[in-house]
Amino acid sequence: MPFIQLEPSQVHYQLEGEPGRPVITFLNGLTQNANLWKSYADYFVPRGYRVLAYDMLGQGRSSKPIIDIKLTAHADLLAQLLTRLEIEATHLVSISFGGIIALDFAIRHGTRLRSLTVMSTFAELTPQLEFLGTVMLRGLAEVGMPYLQSMLYPMNMSSAWIAANRERIPAMMRAGYIGNDGYAMQNLMESFVEFKPLTPDLHRITAPTLIMNGEFDFFTPRECHELIRREVANSRLLIVQHAYHAFTLELPAVTMRQLEVFITQVDDGSWQGDRSVWVAADDPAADVQWLPCASDWMRAVQPGTPEPAKRAPARKAPSRKKAQ
Amino acid sequence: MIDPKHYDQARDRIALAGFTPEIQTKIALLLTTTKNGNLIFHSGVQWMRNLNVVQQFILSQYSRELEAVTLLSRTTQWSRDPGLAMEGSRILAPLVMAWGQIMMPPGPMLNPQAAYRGISLGHAQLARIRLAPVIPESADPLDPFVVALQRIEQENGRMLQTQIRLLKSMGADVPIDEREAQVEADQKLVDGVFNDFLQWLAAP
Repeated sequence: MPFIQLEPSQVHYQLEGEPGRPVITFLNGLTQNANLWKSYADYFVPRGYRVLAYDMLGQGRSSKPIIDIKLTAHADLLAQLLTRLEIEATHLVSISFGGIIALDFAIRHGTRLRSLTVMSTFAELTPQLEFLGTVMLRGLAEVGMPYLQSMLYPMNMSSAWIAANRERIPAMMRAGYIGNDGYAMQNLMESFVEFKPLTPDLHRITAPTLIMNGEFDFFTPRECHELIRREVANSRLLIVQHAYHAFTLELPAVTMRQLEVFITQVDDGSWQGDRSVWVAADDPAADVQWLPCASDWMRAVQPGTPEPAKRAPARKAPSRKKAQ
Repeated sequence: MIDPKHYDQARDRIALAGFTPEIQTKIALLLTTTKNGNLIFHSGVQWMRNLNVVQQFILSQYSRELEAVTLLSRTTQWSRDPGLAMEGSRILAPLVMAWGQIMMPPGPMLNPQAAYRGISLGHAQLARIRLAPVIPESADPLDPFVVALQRIEQENGRMLQTQIRLLKSMGADVPIDEREAQVEADQKLVDGVFNDFLQWLAAP
């Protein structure tokens, strides 16, 4: 993967596909890196796209500022990177921490977007997220990187995935420990101290916007995505069935298919951003990929109408006769 | 950036050979050299003027580096091969020279730039030299040398917190970009040494 020097930072990136094709740029979450989008490049490049993935500041092989880093620096860096790579506009796909950066980019550099996809993310810190963030930062600072890694697995993945990958997890954690620097992660997390809610500016996002949320994502639950849906007029909310926070890793085939459906709609002009809510098909090969959401998407249970109470049969008055 | 394959090769080598005196000596040479550099630096700056509350942090870092060096020196089964010490000195020379420059008269106590450089280099060592990934899963977790390595790694994480605070609070009169550039340069220096070290560790 090549490097590019964008003052004052060095950025490690991968750009695949022929020049002139529509570009899809991927933004990763905390403790991730550009390599995790490799399978997405393998999927989209043969379908006629150009795919850009890069290690965000503080991650992977890109510069890892330690003294200070502003959240806005990430979106500005992306704008610089696109300019240097002579990419005028891009489809932007993002998850979790990358989603916040993507929202900021869409607000301040929106003219450079063909479309926006934000997955498992938030525009402001809900009280739950504020607490979780504080606990994660304390864990990282007081116990160390392995503790944060151990904490993130159950927050990101389903029990089924953990059970199926239990043998591989120590090696995966070791690779994560080598590839991530605790101090850089800490600096990224501390940058949230100055985080101002993006919600008041979300209405400025005009690009076609797909908001994706795992059905069972308890890290960034539905309320975080609902807030974005309400504020972005040209959006749709798509709920990924049976998914947790990191469904790009756990359900890549489903995720790629949904992205393909969305980006195709945008490119062929059939996209309708109407703030509607949909459910992603479980099967990437299904003819219909987006199913209408038939119930209250904010609820985890759908209470039914109570049946009318049946009248209990009248009891006989107890006999005073003694048993013979 | 440390090449992950160097970790894998070193771990495979240790899994095959075990923690032999040669392997333990290589690791101990690396850690004691780097930690001695950092502790001598901290002993040199602890009487800087106007440190206020920071002085306590610096004394604490000094003591914790001293503890790590003592723990490791006592638990290591040292090899008697002087060739290891010579080759270790060659690999670690860039770091020894860097510490030498920092400690050069008038010394960091009287030279704020050298003081900042020392904090930056200490940070780079604590952040980038990570040995937990070379411990094979088959290693006895109660082996004294393994226990010492794990403890030192864990303590390094805590010491790193202090280094981060010092980097953020000291040298405020130097522009942030310059300070970041210094930190990045020191990380590259440490990465270069540590990459060479891991290859040495992996060698039969």
